[in-house]
Amino acid sequence: MYGHAGKILLIDLTIRRCTIIQTSAYEGWVGGHGLGSALFWDLVKDKTIDGFDPTNLITIMTSPLTGTLATGASARVEVQGIGVQSSPIGWFTRSNVGGRFGTMLKYAGWDGVAVIGQADMPIWIDIRNDAVSIRTATHLWGLDTWETQRQIWKEVIGTSVPGDWFDFDSPGIGRRTTQLPAVLTIGPAGENKCRVASLIHDAGNSSGQGGFGAVWGAKNLKAISVIGTGSVTIADPKALMEARLWAKKNYETHLGKLRDIKDPTPIKFHFGFGAQRVPMVMWRRPKEHRPQACTGCHSGCRTRTGTGQGNESSCIDTEFYSHFDLSSNSGPAIKALIKSLENINQKGTAKAVGLVLGRQTDAAYRTADLMQKLGINAGELWYGLPYLRDLYKMGVLGPGKEIECDLPFDEFGQYEFAEKLLHKMAYREGSAAEIADGFYRAARDWGRLEEDLGSGILRFPWWGLPDHYDARAQIEWGYGSIMGDRDINEHDFNMLFWMASPAIWRGRKPLVSAEEVARIYAEKMEPYQNDSLLLDYSTENIYSEHMAKLVAWHRHYTRFWKQSVLFCDIRYADIFNPNRPDHRGMTGEAEPRFFRAVTGRDLSFADGNEIGRRIWNLDNAIWTIQGRHRDMVYFADYIYTQPFAWQFSGSLSMYYLPGRKNGRWKYIPMEGRTLDKVKFDEWKTHFYELEGWSTATGWPMRSTLEQLDMKPVADALEYNGRIGREIA
Amino acid sequence: MTSKRSHKNCALTKISRRTFLKYTGIIAVGVSWHGIDCFGQQSAIGASKGYLLIDSKKCQGCQTCMLACSLVHEGEENLSLARIQVVQNPFGKYPSDILLAQCRQCIDPSCLLACPTGALHADAQRGYVRIVDSEKCIGCRACVLACPYKPGRGIWNFIGGYAQKCDLCINTPYWDEAGGPSGKQACVEACPIGAITFTCSIPRQNGDAGYDVNLRDLSWKMLGYPLD
Repeated sequence: MYGHAGKILLIDLTIRRCTIIQTSAYEGWVGGHGLGSALFWDLVKDKTIDGFDPTNLITIMTSPLTGTLATGASARVEVQGIGVQSSPIGWFTRSNVGGRFGTMLKYAGWDGVAVIGQADMPIWIDIRNDAVSIRTATHLWGLDTWETQRQIWKEVIGTSVPGDWFDFDSPGIGRRTTQLPAVLTIGPAGENKCRVASLIHDAGNSSGQGGFGAVWGAKNLKAISVIGTGSVTIADPKALMEARLWAKKNYETHLGKLRDIKDPTPIKFHFGFGAQRVPMVMWRRPKEHRPQACTGCHSGCRTRTGTGQGNESSCIDTEFYSHFDLSSNSGPAIKALIKSLENINQKGTAKAVGLVLGRQTDAAYRTADLMQKLGINAGELWYGLPYLRDLYKMGVLGPGKEIECDLPFDEFGQYEFAEKLLHKMAYREGSAAEIADGFYRAARDWGRLEEDLGSGILRFPWWGLPDHYDARAQIEWGYGSIMGDRDINEHDFNMLFWMASPAIWRGRKPLVSAEEVARIYAEKMEPYQNDSLLLDYSTENIYSEHMAKLVAWHRHYTRFWKQSVLFCDIRYADIFNPNRPDHRGMTGEAEPRFFRAVTGRDLSFADGNEIGRRIWNLDNAIWTIQGRHRDMVYFADYIYTQPFAWQFSGSLSMYYLPGRKNGRWKYIPMEGRTLDKVKFDEWKTHFYELEGWSTATGWPMRSTLEQLDMKPVADALEYNGRIGREIA
Repeated sequence: MTSKRSHKNCALTKISRRTFLKYTGIIAVGVSWHGIDCFGQQSAIGASKGYLLIDSKKCQGCQTCMLACSLVHEGEENLSLARIQVVQNPFGKYPSDILLAQCRQCIDPSCLLACPTGALHADAQRGYVRIVDSEKCIGCRACVLACPYKPGRGIWNFIGGYAQKCDLCINTPYWDEAGGPSGKQACVEACPIGAITFTCSIPRQNGDAGYDVNLRDLSWKMLGYPLD
């Protein structure tokens, strides 16, 4: 297929052997997640192994669009394997990382890298075009992620400061590049096998979920470096350039027209193809900075700064400590107000006050940098740190307390506290070092799991993993996460909240009515198109077959177009686009258009979603072998017992989604809602029926798998005694 | 195409051709600084009628320009063959974290003067754009080495075995737009942030200020980015 480099690098660290797998053998899976799941299925015979087992296979896969001009689809790689973060089972899981690692892999001539086995000493993998070496990393072990990369750059191209051509074929001028090697590395957290350790690339690109940093640490794999001078072949170069300019002209926010927009509120949010060109950083931006983008992206979501602090951190990286920095360094009046709000359990409102009125220092930036350097997952910290603080305020945790913990909570919000916390996690230092393996496991070790999941102070609703968008409000987010393996981190329908809610906060009408936005979304959702009830988030509808269709559609779309073809989640799906007169985005047309231009393959949007369904079924087959059963698919107790309050606003009505009340569409506040455990369980039956999985177990049925051309998978499940019973 | 012989015929007595070009270049700079193209008459090597200007403080490092350049010229994506280069240091401090290296279409083109065959020439039919005729290129790489800037703007096409450089999109077989000084440039069109522009005015030749300019406006400030 055009766009493919043609080969996948398989490295067995135990015997230090490199093998080439022809991509053509897996062409039907296209790229990214599809490739990774298929390779895992074929190469890992015992799928019940623990993530630290040497036979765990970690795949890092690009797509045909990686390294091309396809807007927002050029940069990413999908990372997969058995994770070590989730509980009670370390699911076969996924993560994703941007920057330029994927593009460089393609230019070096590889569609992906797969690593199995365990080296007998620390090593790093050095890829220079088609030359691959396994090198000793004892001198790198112990270095943080930034220093590791600088060191590797020096070893590969002789300098850590870019600026000139590097000649591969020196002393002559032959193959050459101005680019630094692209490195994916672990930090001390991964080396110490902390279950919340991430993989870091450049300053702030991170494969965070799944604990793959710890898996690499167990394999003695410190880093993978790649530098390439080759080409990505394009089926129709003219069509690709046209597609790029078409998307730019018709769907991007035009800088020159910003001043003409009467109410920029609708496009001030960060997500979506037509989002305003502001970075997705939640801290106060320093004066001297620029936006910074992954390769080929039209709208960079992070920054680089005049001090170099906070470079390339975005979203949760920038949020998990910044509001503490803001609050603790604000004036006495603001501090008193925040404290009084927290004392009356209005933590969300307190947070909002801090965000708006607080005073920020460089603690937030330095903390994010340290987190990246040590290689720790920001998502875990985002909900884990407030939990730790709550325990301290309850008098349960601290020096001399029931849970001995030597962190200086009197310095909370200062860099000094964050430094000690992150070091404790990365190096398993001192008391309460259990948090190195995540806050869910720490709570379990402290004997507090049931209580804190019941009260909701430990907001880890699915598979022992931290929250993101709440299951009680953003229904498809929660359902998709619990029916899968992790926080889905897919903002496609979360845009419904961001489009409407900021306008409502400001006393304005959202750009379109609830009924209209439901219609706009439903139009794109083939084969369920035009069923607006898919977008009805009212309590009366969230347990319905309509919501099952929404969740199923979302799983299929994202498995293919976003996790296999690798359109970035921050910019796709482009369903609602505020720059268009009709507000309809380019999803459904753009994805196939870019795909066809690069690969020459005329795949329809719906066909792509169907491939996504196939991949999703393969994943469920793997989970089924790992031990999944419908009886274990449920949220943490607080989802059913505690009314929803948004973390940024407390009990104030601020989280709006479209839905019907008394037959009429409106934007409904989600605050105060809980999920009904019995009704959710009934909803699961709708979902399993729709997916063709056994309603008794949640296991795939043979008929479904064979219809998806996966008879060997059905045979394997039957051999393991885990094939779904057919509905008579 | 001007030949080496015509260059010699244009040289003044007692002043070398290089010195002649150097001083006329300075005069051109002095006048063009005020926005006036002083070349009312042909120079020994005609001044290009088009230049790319960049704003390195505005650039977001996406390398879309490089991807577009490589695509429209070569029909494939290859950063090493892009005739504009974006180099960045992830750990660097803004604004020195990013370096944009566009061909300057120099008034005094070292690359052209280094070419032994005239393959690299100023195309008189197309606005004196400094351009490589790949059929005539013998692959000596002298032009690549001659560029005084870092990274050198001359591109060695190690796949085709010839030199190439920015031609302001005169020869773009994979793009249906007309290029050159009176046409469009792929990098300018594709850049999502407006960090590259085209001008017919000769930029100041000394230093970078003529080629690295401020393209930021009120809209940029509205987004919260610095204007200075």
